[in-house]
Amino acid sequence: MSILRSELLRGTLDLLVLKTLTLEPMHGWGISQRIRQMSGEVFEINQGSLYPALRRLQRKGWVTSEWRTTDHNRRARYYTLTPAGRAQLGEEERQWTLSSTAVNRLLELRLART
Amino acid sequence: MDPFVDRRESAPGAPAGADVTMSWLRGVLQKTRETFSRRRVDEELDEEIQFHLEREVERLIAKGMDSEAARSLANRTFGGVGRVKERAREEYGFRLLDQAVRDVRHAARGLRRSPSFAIAAVLTLGLGIGATTAIYSIVDAVVLEPLPYPESDRLVRIFQQNSPTNRWSISVADFQAVEAQQKVFESVAALRGGTATLTGSGRPERISALFATSEWFRTIGVEPTEGRGFLPGEDRPGAERVVVLSDAFRERAFGPGAAVLGQTITLDGHPHVIVGVLPPGRGSLAGYPADVWPILQLHPPTRRGPFFLRGFGRLLPEASFEDARTDLDAVSERIFPIWAAGFSDENARLTPVLLRDVIVGDVGGALFLLLGAVAGVLLIGIANVANLLLARAGGRTREMALRASLGATRTRLVRQLLAENLLLAALGGAAGVAIAFIGLETLVATSPGLPRLEEVSLDPGVLGFAAAVTLTTGLLFGLAPLLHGVSRDVAVGLRAAGRTATAGVRWRRVRSALVTAEFALALPLLIGASLLLGSFLRLRHVDPGYDPHDLISAQLSLPASDYAGAVETMRFWNEALRRIEAIPGVASAGISTALPPDNSGDTNNFDLLDKPVASGASQHVVPWSWISPGYLRTLQVPLLEGRLLDERDRGTPAVVVVSRSWADRYYPDEEVLGKQLYAGGDTGTPMTVIGVVGDVKLTGLSSSDDPAVYEPFAQAGFRTVNLLVRARGSASGILRQVGAGIESLDAELPLANVETMTERLSTAVSGPRYWTTLLGVFAGVGLLLAAIGIYGVLSYHVTRQTRDIGIRITLGADPAAVRRLVLRQGMSRAALGIGIGLVGSLLLTRLLENLLFGVSPTDPLTFATVTLVLTAVALGSCFVPARRATRVDPIRTLNAE
Repeated sequence: MSILRSELLRGTLDLLVLKTLTLEPMHGWGISQRIRQMSGEVFEINQGSLYPALRRLQRKGWVTSEWRTTDHNRRARYYTLTPAGRAQLGEEERQWTLSSTAVNRLLELRLART
Repeated sequence: MDPFVDRRESAPGAPAGADVTMSWLRGVLQKTRETFSRRRVDEELDEEIQFHLEREVERLIAKGMDSEAARSLANRTFGGVGRVKERAREEYGFRLLDQAVRDVRHAARGLRRSPSFAIAAVLTLGLGIGATTAIYSIVDAVVLEPLPYPESDRLVRIFQQNSPTNRWSISVADFQAVEAQQKVFESVAALRGGTATLTGSGRPERISALFATSEWFRTIGVEPTEGRGFLPGEDRPGAERVVVLSDAFRERAFGPGAAVLGQTITLDGHPHVIVGVLPPGRGSLAGYPADVWPILQLHPPTRRGPFFLRGFGRLLPEASFEDARTDLDAVSERIFPIWAAGFSDENARLTPVLLRDVIVGDVGGALFLLLGAVAGVLLIGIANVANLLLARAGGRTREMALRASLGATRTRLVRQLLAENLLLAALGGAAGVAIAFIGLETLVATSPGLPRLEEVSLDPGVLGFAAAVTLTTGLLFGLAPLLHGVSRDVAVGLRAAGRTATAGVRWRRVRSALVTAEFALALPLLIGASLLLGSFLRLRHVDPGYDPHDLISAQLSLPASDYAGAVETMRFWNEALRRIEAIPGVASAGISTALPPDNSGDTNNFDLLDKPVASGASQHVVPWSWISPGYLRTLQVPLLEGRLLDERDRGTPAVVVVSRSWADRYYPDEEVLGKQLYAGGDTGTPMTVIGVVGDVKLTGLSSSDDPAVYEPFAQAGFRTVNLLVRARGSASGILRQVGAGIESLDAELPLANVETMTERLSTAVSGPRYWTTLLGVFAGVGLLLAAIGIYGVLSYHVTRQTRDIGIRITLGADPAAVRRLVLRQGMSRAALGIGIGLVGSLLLTRLLENLLFGVSPTDPLTFATVTLVLTAVALGSCFVPARRATRVDPIRTLNAE
C-alpha cells in the first residue's frame, strides 16, 4: 500500500511542482511546503526527490531559476514557470483528469457489482 | 518499474508556438552552460540543499521540537543528501560524460574484484595485440610504405635479363648506351662496388663505399644537405675524383658536424675531394648502406661485358613503366650488333624492374604470412577472453537480475558491460603497445637482413592500427557476454541463476563454437611452424660439399693504384699464400673469387664445342670461380675424376675443373674429361676440362643443383679475393698470424670479414632460423591458448553440471561413463575444429612454398603428426575436468542446493 502511494506520488511529482509554481516563483523548500499544505498533508513527499525533478523541469525548459534574496534576507534559488511549462501543465492536467476519471469509473463499477 | 526513469526518457511534448520554442532554447542554453561550469553548478546545488534543510529545521523548531530532533527529522524527510545530489547531477547536461566516468570506475571495480581473470585476460589480449602490432609495423615499413624517396614509384632498376628467372647486372657498354639513347628517364645512374680501402689516417680500413655516376643523387632524389652532389662530367676519366660522405661516417671519422668540405680522403689509393655530406639518417640509399659515395669514372668499353654495374633510372613524369620497357628494348636491339662478336645472347635485354620490387623482393609474402599467423593467435586469444567473459557473465546473471529489479535500466546494464569490455580491451591494448615496443626491438635486432629495417618504427599509423585492433577486439569479445548478461526476462535470470539456466543452452553453443574456432586456428599455425622447422633442420644438415671445421675465411682487396696489372697482383697473391702456408699452425691456404656456401662470386656464360647452342640463343650460365691451386685442397673437396689444378696451369693450355653437377647436366652419360668449351663469349682459345670434383654449395644451402666451373686464378689478376686458410688445430689460433703475414707484405692492407667457416654456415641459415623461430613462437602461444580455452570451457561445464552428474552417480551411473561423457563433450568440439583446421591448412601452407626446403607444403607426415599432437593436447586438457566430474560427491552436491 505504501509503495503504491509513493509510486503514484513520484509519477505525479512533476505535475504537482508545475501546479505549485502557477501562483508565484518559489524556492525548493517553499514548493515542498506548499505541496504538503495543498494536499491536506496527504502527500508527505520525499523532499530530496524534489531537486532532481526541478533540474529535469529546467532542462525541459518548463521552469527557469534565479538566485534571489528571501524576505528573511537570505539567498535562495527561485523557480519560475515558463510559458512552455504552463502549456505542459495544461496538457498534464487534461491527461490526469482523463485517467483519473477512467479509474474512478472502473472503481465505481466494481463497487456496483459487489 | 522506475517511473522517474521512464518519464525522463519519454519524449517531451511537442513544442507549440514561439514561446515554447524560446523556452526550449533556454533549456538548451542552460544545459550547455551547466556542462561548462560543473563545479559552480555543484556548489549551487549544495547551497540550495543547505538552505532547504535549514528552513525545514527552523520550521520544526517553531513547531516546538528541540534542535537536535528537528535536525534529525529534517534529514530523514529529505532523504540521503548524497543520493539526491547524484540524481540531480544525472539531470545535468554532462550526464553522458559523467555516467561514462562512473561506468568505467564501476568496471574497474568489477575487474579488481576478480584479479586473476583480469590479469589473464589483459595478458592474453596484450600478447595478441602486441605481437600483431609489432609484425604489422614491420609489414607497414617494409611492404606497405612507399620507399623513402621523392616520387619513389618512378624509380626503377635496370637489369640484363634473358629469361623470367635469370637477370644480372649491366655493363659499361649497356649503361653508356642507355645514358646516350634513352627517352623515358629524367636521369639514369650506375653504382659499382660495395667496399673501398680507406688509408692515410691511422690503420687502413675497409669501409662501405658505392661508386656512383654523376646523376646518382638526382636520380634517387636525395641530395647532400651540405656542399653539393656530383657535377656532370665528373664521372669521366681524368676528371678530379670527388666523394660525398654519409653523415654517420663524417661523425665517425671527423667528429659530429665537422667542416669537411674541400678535404681529401684516400680511397683504394686514390685521393678524393669531399664535396658534400648527405643528411643524417641516410646511411643507405636504395637499399645499399654506404659510408661514402665516391664518383664512378667509367672508361669507354672494349667489349659488351663484364656486367658489374647496378643501373638505376628515374622515369619522366609522363612516361609509364611500359614505356621504359619498350625504350630499353630498343636500346638493346641497337647495341646488340656492335658487340655481337663477343656477346651473342639475343635473348638478353635491358629490362626495367620497379625499385620497390627489387628491394622488398619475396620478403613481402613471408611477412604477410607472419601477419596472418599473429592475427590467428590474436583471434584465439579473443576467443579465450570471450569464453572467460561468458563464464563470468553466466555467474553474474544473478547480479544483473538483482540490479535490474532494483531499478537499473537495461541500457544502463548494457552500457556497464560494454564499459567493462572496453576497459579490458584498453588495458590489453596498453599492454600490447608495451609488448609491441619490446618485441619490435627484438625482431629488428635479430632480423637476418630484412630490407628497409631502418624505417621500422611504432609510428602514429601503427599505433592507430593497434588502437583499431584493440577496439575491434573489445567489441568482438564483448558482444556475446553482452547479450548473455542482460537476459530479456530478468525474472528467469533471478530464478535460474546459479543453476543450469534455461537460456544457457544457446550460450553454451556459442562457447563451444569458440573452442572449435580456436582449434581450427591453431592447427594451421602449428602445421606452418612444423613445416618451417622441418625445412630448417634439413637445411642445417645439408652437406656443403667441404669440411667446414678449422677453416677461416677473409676478404682481401688490393688497391688499383699500387697494383695496376695482373703481374703485380699475381706476384702479391703468390707471395702472400707462400707466407701464410709457412705459418706453423696452417695446413693449407687458397684464394678464390667465390666463397661458399652462399657467395658464388661471378657467373660466366660458355658454349660447348661439341654441343654449341643455336646462333642467337642464350648460352649456358653457371657460377664461375677463379681459384688458386691450393683452394680445392684447402676446402677438402673430393676429386672424382682427372686431376686438380696445380702450379703448372698458368693459362696455356687453358684448363678448367668442373663440379659433378656440371658433368651430370651437360654430359650425363659421357666422358667429361677432355671436353672443350668457349667461355665468356670468347671464340678464340677453347678451354679443356681436366678434372671433376664434388659439388660445393655456392648459391646457398637450399640450392638443389650445383654446377660450377673452376678456372685457374693465374692470369686473371683479380684484386678482390677471398682467402681461405685451413688450420691444423683451432681456427681462431692462427688468425693473428695470418693478419701479420699479410701486413708484412703490405702494411696498408686490412683483412675484412674474417670468419670461421662454421660461423658462415650458421649465418647462412639465419633467415630460415628467424622465420622458424617466429612462427614457432606464435604457434606455441596459439596452442597454449587453445588448450587453456578447451580446459576452461569443459571445467565450466562440469561445474555447471555438478548437480546432474551427482544425480547420475547417485542413481548408479558408472564413473567411467561419466568421464567418457565429459570427454566426448570436449573432444567433439576439438575434433570439429581440427577438421576445419586441416582444410584450412591445405589451402594456406601453399603460401609457405618459397620458404620451404626439402619438404612439400602438404607433407603428409607433418600433417599427421601435428594433428595427433593437437588431439593429444585436447585430450589432456579435457581429462582434468573429466576426472573432476567423476569425483563429484552426490550427497554434498545435492545438499548444497
